[in-house]
Formats: sequence, structure tokens, C-alpha cells
Amino acid sequence: MPNCSAMTLPNVSKKSGCECEIMEIPLLNLESFLCNENGYLELLQNPTNWQKIPFLNHAPLHELKDLSLVRFRGMIQDMCDPEIYLEKYEVRDKNSGSSRIQQGKYRDCLAVGPHEEADLTSNQNVHGDRRTIFVITVPGLNDWAVSHERSVSEVAIQKPNNEAVNGHGQKRSLDDETENMEVEPEERKTVKRLCNEQSPMRNSGATSDNLLSSEYLLNSPLPDRPSKACMVKLYSDFDKFPLNSIVDVVGFLSVDPALDGSNHQIEDFEEMSEVQAANPPPSLIPRLHAILVKPLDHVNPLLDESLQPVVDLDQTAEVIRKDLHIILTQCLFGDPVAAEFLLLHLISNVFLRTDMQTLGQFSLNICGLPTGHPPGYTTALYDIIQSLLPASHYFPMTLENMNTHQFLPKKDYKTNKLVSGLLQLAPHTHLILDETRLEPGKLENNGVRGVQSLADLIKSQQIKANFEFFEMQYDMNIPVLTLSEGRSMLPCDFQIPLKDQMAGDTFIEETLKAAKHYLEPKLNAIRKYLTTAKLVQFNIDPETTQMIEQDFVDMRKADQRFGPDQLSSLLILARLLAAARGRNMLDKELWNLAKSLQAEQQSRLEQLPKRR
Amino acid sequence: MARRDYTQDYDSIRTFLTEFCQTDENGTKLFKYAQQLVRIAHREQVQMVIELDDVNEYNESLVKVMVQNTRRYVNIFSDVIYELLPTYKEREVAAKDSLDVYIEHRLLMEARNRNQMDQRDERNRFPPELMKRYEVVFKPLSSEKAYSIREVKAQHIGKFVTIRGIVTRSTEVKPMMVVATYTCDRCGSETYQPVNSMTFMPIQECPSDDCRVNKAGGKLYLQTRGSKFIKFQELKIQEHSDQVPVGHIPRTLTIMCRGEATRQAQPGDHVCISGVFLPLMRTGFKQLIAGLLTETFLDAHRIICINKDEQISEKESELTPDELAVLSHEDFYERFASSLAPEIYGHLDVKKALLLLLVGGVDKRPDGMKIRGNINICLMGDPGVAKSQLLGYISRLAVRSQYTTGRGSSGVGLTAAVMKDPLTGEMMLEGGALVLADQGVCCIDEFDKMAESDRVAIHEVMEQQTISIAKAGIMTTLNARVSILAAANPAFGRYNPRRTVEQNIQLPAALLSRFDLLWLIQDKADRENDLRLAKHITFVHSHGKQPPSRTQAIDMNLMRKYIMLCKRKNPIIPTELTDYIVGAYVELRREARNSKDMTFTSARNLLGILRLSTALARLRLSDAVEKNDVAEALRLLEMSKDSLNQIHEHQRGHVPNTSDKIFALVRELAGSSKTVKISDIMERCTTKGYKPDQVDNCIEEYEQLNVWLVNQTKTKVTFI
Repeated sequence: MPNCSAMTLPNVSKKSGCECEIMEIPLLNLESFLCNENGYLELLQNPTNWQKIPFLNHAPLHELKDLSLVRFRGMIQDMCDPEIYLEKYEVRDKNSGSSRIQQGKYRDCLAVGPHEEADLTSNQNVHGDRRTIFVITVPGLNDWAVSHERSVSEVAIQKPNNEAVNGHGQKRSLDDETENMEVEPEERKTVKRLCNEQSPMRNSGATSDNLLSSEYLLNSPLPDRPSKACMVKLYSDFDKFPLNSIVDVVGFLSVDPALDGSNHQIEDFEEMSEVQAANPPPSLIPRLHAILVKPLDHVNPLLDESLQPVVDLDQTAEVIRKDLHIILTQCLFGDPVAAEFLLLHLISNVFLRTDMQTLGQFSLNICGLPTGHPPGYTTALYDIIQSLLPASHYFPMTLENMNTHQFLPKKDYKTNKLVSGLLQLAPHTHLILDETRLEPGKLENNGVRGVQSLADLIKSQQIKANFEFFEMQYDMNIPVLTLSEGRSMLPCDFQIPLKDQMAGDTFIEETLKAAKHYLEPKLNAIRKYLTTAKLVQFNIDPETTQMIEQDFVDMRKADQRFGPDQLSSLLILARLLAAARGRNMLDKELWNLAKSLQAEQQSRLEQLPKRR
Repeated sequence: MARRDYTQDYDSIRTFLTEFCQTDENGTKLFKYAQQLVRIAHREQVQMVIELDDVNEYNESLVKVMVQNTRRYVNIFSDVIYELLPTYKEREVAAKDSLDVYIEHRLLMEARNRNQMDQRDERNRFPPELMKRYEVVFKPLSSEKAYSIREVKAQHIGKFVTIRGIVTRSTEVKPMMVVATYTCDRCGSETYQPVNSMTFMPIQECPSDDCRVNKAGGKLYLQTRGSKFIKFQELKIQEHSDQVPVGHIPRTLTIMCRGEATRQAQPGDHVCISGVFLPLMRTGFKQLIAGLLTETFLDAHRIICINKDEQISEKESELTPDELAVLSHEDFYERFASSLAPEIYGHLDVKKALLLLLVGGVDKRPDGMKIRGNINICLMGDPGVAKSQLLGYISRLAVRSQYTTGRGSSGVGLTAAVMKDPLTGEMMLEGGALVLADQGVCCIDEFDKMAESDRVAIHEVMEQQTISIAKAGIMTTLNARVSILAAANPAFGRYNPRRTVEQNIQLPAALLSRFDLLWLIQDKADRENDLRLAKHITFVHSHGKQPPSRTQAIDMNLMRKYIMLCKRKNPIIPTELTDYIVGAYVELRREARNSKDMTFTSARNLLGILRLSTALARLRLSDAVEKNDVAEALRLLEMSKDSLNQIHEHQRGHVPNTSDKIFALVRELAGSSKTVKISDIMERCTTKGYKPDQVDNCIEEYEQLNVWLVNQTKTKVTFI
């Protein structure tokens, strides 16, 4: 690990001052935590303390000790059945016959000494409930976010031989990030090595068919961008965190090899695969006994206090917006209107959800990409988009992809797992669908369903997980951008045809390259800006409201087709325009801008050839 | 807590079993359990169901401990029965299976042995498990509520609980050994080993005196014929979607079924299972992983498929006083209707109609003929008037429902399909949306784009409420007692008022006439309405919630409960109302002939009126239809016709105001006579969908115009 020793860990016990029992957070062990649960939990409320806990997402597993305190960040992919465990049990010494009560919380294995045995029938034993959730690293987290997360968290890893700490807590400055980007390939290696070294048993057994593959166990929604997984055991708040939400978990690591279910002999009639799925090798999927779980509303590491202190935007939102707008205009064949729409799409967020309604989604279809545009155009455009967003995924809608990909999560009753699908993504993960890759051909059953579920997602921001006997709806928050040549076959909230302004299609590749280069120094500011704008709180003052109401009545008089849906989308447009300018109030000027944008969009749509 | 005196309980259970009786209406005493004991003694019955309700009647404190410590009490009951059985044996019993024969032989042999004063070895004595040829199960208290799986926690271990869920997996029924019987190859004596867990270690050495004393080292061989097996099946159940909090994954639970509890449910069944929640003791590695972890399962006593037995849901549908207070409001009907899809603005009459669809009318089957009670409604309208949202809401509110689109449904489709089972190669029927929604609501979006084959089937469904299949050698009729809620888009993008309904929707009249109500939902510009709409939308956008000024919507669960209650009523139509209804119908027909109506009026409308009125009576939880119900039904029918005709009038540019229309009605009513009773006017006008104050206004207006005179007591109008 580069630069590790240079980073230091300030002494926590000095800060908290009084009790000598309190240990440094990263060194905290289970016994001392159990002595003073509340004290430590309070200490953990401070995000700076989080920075010092080893980050399981990036730390190689072999460097972490069993039962040490770690943290993990990810998306809740599945929820397993509750477990009933021994919360307290009696342990008897075989030699002396004396007995003591052992706490069973936060661990998987019985804590018995060499001469002791647990008395499972003692009437002092207390049973308790705990619940396992299956957490995977945020799917589609972009490379820059991953490497940034790692570079700032590396400091926290506790080197066994480096326990002497010197006292200057120094934060990594932002300048270092660019050089750390190059660490990325190394990380891939680490993951691979991790699998090879630590689970030889699994690898050797993978040839026999009754063992589940590691891909199946890891259950990544995007198989080509595999995520790490972790089974988190919750001891409270079982129903607090919904599926697909992003959480930060602090807890005790448990990697005892005995937890592996694949090599156990089972005489029972029970399904072998179910036991395996419930007990994957801990070297592949470690267990984490949560002491604190924190829901996150975004995954942008640049704005994460638990990784580093957040620096306020030094430039105003307006300046950044203009910069970004210029670049996007260039990328979209010099079309400023389409660029404006794309920018708004990048900061869109579902802000209201009631029984029937979902408001705030801004799924965009950029159509009218010039036919015969350079073949690499869509991917190059995505390349720029992904460098701006913390999490995104590019899905080329080729016939083969449509027919073979699994879109919706499906319950596998054989293993009792929710097998993930492409659409099971964390909130704010942008999905970019490339419809230009679609060719005429036969869409099979799977493909038809895929289109249907994509349409459902876009229309209502919900997916229906397949539970075989019924479907369960889950609320999503995934902005969807569709790129197409003609009108998209998928529905969308906003559709903007590109205007042929620059005939010089041939230059687009150079333009994109130049744009990328131009963006380089501004990237971090833009990334922060996009996330902040997404989460802005918004209001409309009564005066503007009245003006809008009046406007609606007039518009409706002028045009019968202007209905409530149009008003609704106009309001969303105006809201995002304001948010993009760093404001949280709507005013007349923005409202008029929104109206003119909508009018422009409308007139362009009318020019499109009519559908037969 | 003081230790419970089990011997005392033993005695009281004996008394309960022998003496518990119920008196039937003839006054004869029925010894419920004693009779069962007789049957068990003669091997005519296997399962002994102890109803906790009966025990409760007999001894309340006993039930409490039985629920807390079920396993032990099952054993006590079983022991008591074992002791009692010989006394209930009235005649010789014919052996039913080989085990019976075996036991009989051994008993005879033992009797012979005893004569020789040969003390039988303790270990070789027959275990009671071998001799008991019955099972004891408990039936839960009727006041007991069914839990969802997530409500069952560690504290329920060892207790008797009832759980609701859906079966997701079931193993085959397998024999499970309860008593292993061995024979020694040296001394020939038999050894028995009761098995209580999932696994057991067979005995190798013969423990009998002969072998032990002589050190003969006799080997034991397992005897299948003498061993006792019971049926065993493992089920997995999962929470049903309505029990899962939003955004969570349904949980599962393992159920172990033994003996008579096996083969009760198949994957996909909704079940209510009562049983004992127990930890599962594992051997081998599980013990290693900690012993910390305990797997749990439910030892099933009683499994009921809810789809077959409606009794269960009744228990849960009782209303609390709080809920009753909400429902007993005066404007209940309006409020209930506006609580349907509260996000969708206005359309109160449509919502009222949908409410009636949910409640449904009363089925009638006079002499084999079947008249459906389900109400079918078709919503038409320009794109983007929230038809689909209404459908979606109704399908979520209805207890049983299916949502499908006419175009999208593939494979099984709407009706039913014959499929080949991949495993057995047998042909089997798979129900489509209409079959699956039996006794519920089937919401069909884009009704106009339905496949031709489905459209044919839907004719039958909508009137006969069945689906006939004649495919691949299977000829059968499936029940499809559904209410159909359809949504259709006009054929030419927008509704064209100059054409008839059939032309607009491109559906045959035969199909359209099967709908009790056809609504055209329109999107018309109207200043006041638009302003309210704009206010509503901007409020939602700026505050992120629904405007508070509206009446509080009734909770969905409460609505479901109430609708359930309503459905239990079967109101009748009193004979004195028939004249009124007939009159109204004749009037409708006459009008349809006279005016250039774009809709049609047929005998089906009469049935529709009856259905709507009975549904209204149900909604009041009344047992008889009142005149007001019929009036409201007529009003809804009129409004639905209006919604189709109104553009028509609009286009003519000649819009008579309400008062003019009412005046025309009064004129008609008066006929040749000069005076008309105001009560008659009111009645006629309300059936036409006018409100009393509108009528009052009209009377006043025309009085001022000196068209007529109103007498002092305001009972009569006289034309001048």
C-alpha cells in the first residue's frame, strides 16, 4: 500500500478525555465495546472517527483480523431470514467446573477457551433475534469514485507492525487525487488475488456441479462490473433500511473459516444449495456484525465527511454550470438546448412519492443522433458522463443484450436468494441506454419483458421483483438517459431531438477528446456541484405560485392539449433549472426560461417525422 | 412462577375428554371427544383435533399453559388418550395395516409370556409411540389472530402460533421413522428404539438379558415391518406481499408437517398454519458454527388453504370502534368514494361507480339460471386522463385482483392456456388473468387493443362468469366470477362526439352492452376547474405532499375491511319497489327511442340498475334495497350516459341550462294536466341526476317568470 505509513491516526482517547477504558476507535475490540456500548456509539457519531476505521471495501481482507472493527459501504441487495442466536450462554470450565456467562452478540462462533465448553441446555441461556442483510458495494460506482475512496481510506488500515502512531492528523489534500487514480489496476489485482488465495477450497470445488459459483454468491447486478459483497448482521432496527438503499456499516468483522457451508456434510433432506447460499465462504463474502448503520443519501466520495472533511465549493454554482454547459454543448454537436436538458437530467432526483405518484424524475431521450455518427460516439459521450457522476452504467441495447440480460431481480427459491438483475441499482445511479446499437431482429421473451420493465422503471421509477407467486414493487431512483437515432421505443419524461448545427460530424471525435482534456482540471468541482444540486431543498413562494396558476389557465385557454401532465413537467423543468443555478426558489425569470425550453422542445418534436 | 402441577392437569384433561359435551338444537348432548375416542379406538379415525375453544370453555387457565408450552401438553393429551382408549373399545377391530397385525401378535405373545412369569426386560418393552395409532393436534382459539412471519420472534419459541403466508416450496411426502424395531440374530428378542430427532444412531448390540449374560454378542437387524413410520413433509412458506413493509424482502419460514398435516398445501397456496414454533437441533457442523445459531421451524398442527376457506378472513375483518367512528360519518358515501385514488382530482361520480364495482351486487340464481352480481365498468377517454391510474389503484385496493393490458398479455393471456408439464409430460390448465381474478376484480387496460381470441372469451366471462376451454383434449369450464374494469382509448386518438360509442371504441355493441356503466372521462378546459387543478399541482410540487385542505382519505386497509363486510350482506329488493324500477326502466327505453342517443338502452340496463342498487344497499350494510338506492343507481346510469352525450350537445352550440332542462322534464311530467306535485318533480329530477337545490332554483326561477304558480305549502305547481 503506498503512502500508508505517512498517514497518522490521532489519539481518540485524548479527545474524549476521561475514561481510560475508552480505546482508540480503530483498535477497539469486541470485549471493550460490550463494556461500554453507548460510549462508543456516541464516539462513532463523529464522522472524523469514521475515517480511522479500516474500510473493508478497499482493504485486502487478509490484512484484517477476525473480530476487528471495520466499516463497509454498499447497497442492500437482499435480506435474509432472521436468525435466532444465543445472546447469552453459560460456559463451563471442564477442569474446575466453574462457569461464567458469555455474551453471544456480535460474533458467529462460540467464545470458549481450550478447557471450556458451552452449556447449550443451561437455563441461563437467552435467545435473541438478529437479521442478516446482504450488502454489495454500490453497483456501477465509477472508477474515479472508487480510487478516490480508496486513496483517502488507505490511511486508516491498521498495519500490525506499525502501531506506534505519531500525532499529526493530516488530511490528504485534493491535489493528490489525480496521481492516485493510477492505483486502480492494482486494486483489480488485489481482488483477484484475494479470491485465489483465500478460497482454494472453493476454487477446487468449482468444477463439481453442486457448488454454487462465486458469481452466483456475490450476486452483482452488473455481472461485468462485479461488486464485493458482505453479509451484515443487524441487531436492531430490522425494518429501517429498505432494499436498494445505500448504507455505511460499522461493525466487527467475522471471517472464521468454519462459517463456510460448502464443505459441510449435511445428512438432512435439506437442499444443499440453500445451506451453501446461506453460508458462503467468508473469504469471499465476509460477515460483519453491525454496531452502527448509517443510511447515505449519495455516494459521492468528494462530499463525504466520513472520508474527509468537505470543502465548500469555492466557485459559485453559476460558473460551474456555465462551464459544464459549454462542454456538453460541444459534446452534443453544438446544441445548447439539448445540453441544457442533459445537464438538468444529471441533477434530477425523485423528490416526492405518494401512493400513485412519483415526482421529480427526469428521464431523458436524446434522439436524432445523426445517422452514421462515428461508431464510438455514444461510448465517448458516456465516457464523459461517467467521469462526472459517482455511479452510472452504460447499457448498449443490442438484441443479444436484451435477450440475454436479466433485468429484474428474481427470487430463487432453491437457494432462498434474491438473484439480482440489471435494474437493481442504488439510488442516483444513472442508467444510460444506447438504443443506437439496436438492430432489427427478433426480440425474444426475455427481451420483451426487459423492454417492459425498462418502461415501468422510466414511467413510475419502480421495479417489480419476481417472486414467482407474486410480484413485489420496489421504489427506485434511477435517472435513465436514452440515446437514439429516431424516437426512442421506450417512454420518457422529456424528449429532445438534436438539431443539426454542426455539419462537421467528422470532428466530433476530436471535439470529445478536447472536451475531456478541458474538463480534466475542473472535474472535482463539477462532480461536487452535480451532487449538491441534486440534493438541494426547494421552495416555490406563494407569489410565483399564483403567477404559475394564472399562466396555466391562460395556456390552457390557448391550447387544449396543455394538460395537468404538461404543467407538472414544466414545474419539474423549472425546479431543476433553479437547482442548477444553485437557487432554492423559483422566480418568474426561470419559469419563463422553462416555458421557452419546453416550447423549443415541442417545436422540435413536431418537426420529427410522424409515426405511421 | 410456580411450577405447574402436571399430574393435576393430567386429571383435568381426562375429565375434559370424557365429559366435555355440547348440546345441539334438539337438546341431545353430544359428547364430542368421547365419540372421537370411540372412533380412534376402532382405528376409524387418526387425527384427534382438540379445539382450544372447547378447552377454554372448560378451563381457561389450562388453555393459557397449553398455548405457552404446547409440546408438553400434546404429550399429556396423547398419554391420557392412550390410557382411555381401551375403555372405549366396543368391538374387535379389523387390522388395517401390517403394523396393526404386528402389534396384535406381539400383544398376544406378551400375554403368553406373562403367564410364564417371565419378567420382561425394561428395554424390550413396547414403547408407547409404537402403540399409539393416533395423532393429537390443537385447533387454535377462534379469537387468535394470524401472525405474519416477521412478527414471530425468539420469544415465541415453544408456543402455539398461527401464521399466514404463501407456500413457496414443498418436498415430497416421505416416511419418517418414529420407532425403530430390531430383531436379534441370536436370541430372537426384539428391541425398540423411539426416534425423536431427524437423525438417529442405530443400535448394534442386543441389550436383552439372554445375549448380555451369555455374552453371545447378538447382532441387531432393523425390521421395516415392525417399525413405525409416519408421513412427513417439509414446506416453506413466505410472507404475502401485503404483509411486507414497503421496500423490504418477504421472509420465509420452514414448516414441518407430520402425519395428517401432510399433503394439505401446494406451492402457490395461501395458507394459514397453526403450530408450535420450535428450534431445530442440528447435528454435525451446525453445532460447530457456533451452537450460537438455532434454526427454527413450525411444527404444523393445522393447515388451512385460505383460498378454499373464507372463514379465516372473517375473523380479521372485525372493525374497531375507532374505525367505526370514521365510517359512521354522515357524508360517508362521498367520502369513501373520494378516498379512492385521492391523487386523482375530481371525477367523483366515476369514483362512486368504482366503489360500487368493488362492493358488487348480489348474485341471483333462480332455478338454475344465473344472474351475475358483479358490476362491469368501462372507462373511456382521451389519452392522459388518469384512466390507468384509476385502474392501478383499484387493482391494488381490491383484495383479489389482476391487472393486465389487452395488448400486453402474452402466453397465458387473459383466459387460460393448456400447458405441458415439463416433468411429467401431462397436460394441465394454467389460468390466465380472468381465472386468477376469480371472485375479484380484473382490470384490463387498453381494452380496445385486445386480441381477437380473448375478446371472444370475454363475452362469456362478462355474462356467464365462466370460461370454457376446449383445447388439446381438455374440455372444461372454469369459474371466472370477476368484475371487469376496462379502460379504452378512442380509436381516432380523441373521442369524436359525432360518432357512436361503437365507432369510437371499435368494440362491438354486444360487448359494450355488457358493461353496466360506460364512462367517458373528458379533459375540458374550464377556467375555474383549471385554476383548481393548477393550485393542486403547484402545491404538490412546492410542498412535496398532497394539499391538506381535502378531506382526509380513508386508510386503504380500512376500506378493504369495510368492503369485505359489505360483501357479506345480501340485500333483497322489496316488492313495493318493483313498480318504481319498472317505471324508471320504461322511461329509459322511451327516452332512448325518442332522442338521438349515442348509447343504447337494453334489458341489460335493467339488470344493471338492480345490481347497482343492491350494491348501494350493501354499502349501507342494509338487508333491503331502498328507494334512494334505486334513485342513486338511476342517477349514476344517467350521469354515465350524460358523459357520453354531453359533448354532443356542446357541439351543437345550443346549451340549455340546468333550469331549462328541469323545466322540460316538468312539462313532460305534467302532460295534459295543469298541476304537478313537487314531490313527483323531485323524484323524477333526482333520477335524472339533478340535485334538489337545482330543482328548487328552477321552480323559483320559473315562478318569477310567471310560467307557473307554486301553492303556499310548496307542494304543487300549477301552470298558468
